[in-house]
Amino acid sequence: MIRDVTSALASCKLADLIGILSRHKISGLPVVNHNQEVVGFISLHEIIRATLPNYLGIINSDSVLCEFIQLSKSLKEYSKHPIEEFMIKNIITVDENDNEVLAADLLIRNKIQRLPVLRNRKLVGIVTLTDICRVLMYNNENND
Amino acid sequence: MIGTVTLNPAIDVILEVNNLKVNHYNKVLNTHTTSGGKGINVSKAVRGCGRETIAIGFLGGGRGRMVEEELREMGITTNFWHIEKKTRSNMIISDKKTGQHTLLSEAGPEITEYDLEMLKSIFYRVMSQCSVVTLSGSLPPGVPVNIYGDLISIAKERGVKTILNTSGEQFIKGLEKKPFLAKPDLREINRVFGIKIVKEKDAIKAAKEVVQRGAEIGVISLEQEKDIIATRDKIWFAETNYHEIVNLIGAGDALIAGFAIVLSEEEENLEEAIKFSMSCALASSLREEEEFSSREEVERCLQYVYVKRL
Repeated sequence: MIRDVTSALASCKLADLIGILSRHKISGLPVVNHNQEVVGFISLHEIIRATLPNYLGIINSDSVLCEFIQLSKSLKEYSKHPIEEFMIKNIITVDENDNEVLAADLLIRNKIQRLPVLRNRKLVGIVTLTDICRVLMYNNENND
Repeated sequence: MIGTVTLNPAIDVILEVNNLKVNHYNKVLNTHTTSGGKGINVSKAVRGCGRETIAIGFLGGGRGRMVEEELREMGITTNFWHIEKKTRSNMIISDKKTGQHTLLSEAGPEITEYDLEMLKSIFYRVMSQCSVVTLSGSLPPGVPVNIYGDLISIAKERGVKTILNTSGEQFIKGLEKKPFLAKPDLREINRVFGIKIVKEKDAIKAAKEVVQRGAEIGVISLEQEKDIIATRDKIWFAETNYHEIVNLIGAGDALIAGFAIVLSEEEENLEEAIKFSMSCALASSLREEEEFSSREEVERCLQYVYVKRL
């Protein structure tokens, strides 16, 4: 897992969240309460879906440019809204003692990029498929 | 979990030379780059002893991401607030012939009020996972001198023990909020509360003053291998009898890490904490490499540490 607990409070404004994602060069992060307990997950995907609901159709259409102007307007309009309005609430997590096979299974089955890792319900890191591949590769090298 | 705060971290560039001559051409024999800053060094020393630690503070730009990456690789959890400007760099000239180290330290990037507000929010949340937090090092431009005091208040509100290790006005202001342990950083000016630390009696006076001003435990480094530790009713003198010191950089931070480790344990014993901390500092100063000592190395050094009650 990546030992990073960069996260945002549910009350964080959308504009602040975009600032965090941009500075950290990440596309999503866990949402926590004041005790670092995970209450949701938010990524650019959720933000775009909420501010421009039919964006998947738009991307495949000829009117991408004008819809992006609409996206820009929507983002500004929602900039002061708390991210709890946009985040996924019932999220999948793993415990730090769970093995990499379970984590990989959850990531693949649920078609998600990142899994928050918890200890006593508190955030202690993030695991991605890349991390799991690295662990599997390293273990295989040791076994060879 | 042991939290560490580094408000002014750095990329330390260590240049090895042979007999540095000022105002002359000097050839660099070797260059190493590592993440630095007092709090980060404390985290590295804590992790070296196999304990969990989380590093908090400000980072910025590519240098900031380099620091973060290095810490995570070491098994240190990170939760830095990324600022718009770049993390500073420090130059350390290590003279192989004389054994001297010369540190050239940049001031650091400007911090905004917004950055401070975000850092305090992160600090509040992370304190829910910590039992001890260390607040170490200089302040970058834009950070008010009462910042450590504010962070001590937040940590105390969340039931976390605090260790303050800084210098100047921010040390005095931090003491007002009554940290659990306080140690002034005397590297720049060997003076605190107007007391010049030369002899044992000066260090005792200063350590008592630290306690009188609000800390439960006051620590003053007298010389490279000697420390005075005071509480309200007791004073200890601690020293090592191993004098083949190789590298003093980070030894003071290893001392703080030692205190943090013992204070985070349920049954803390101050005399044991002093001995263990001195041993951490000694183990660190015996290493040529920048990596921090392992628990085994620290335990081996315990035999060279003497603590006596004055």
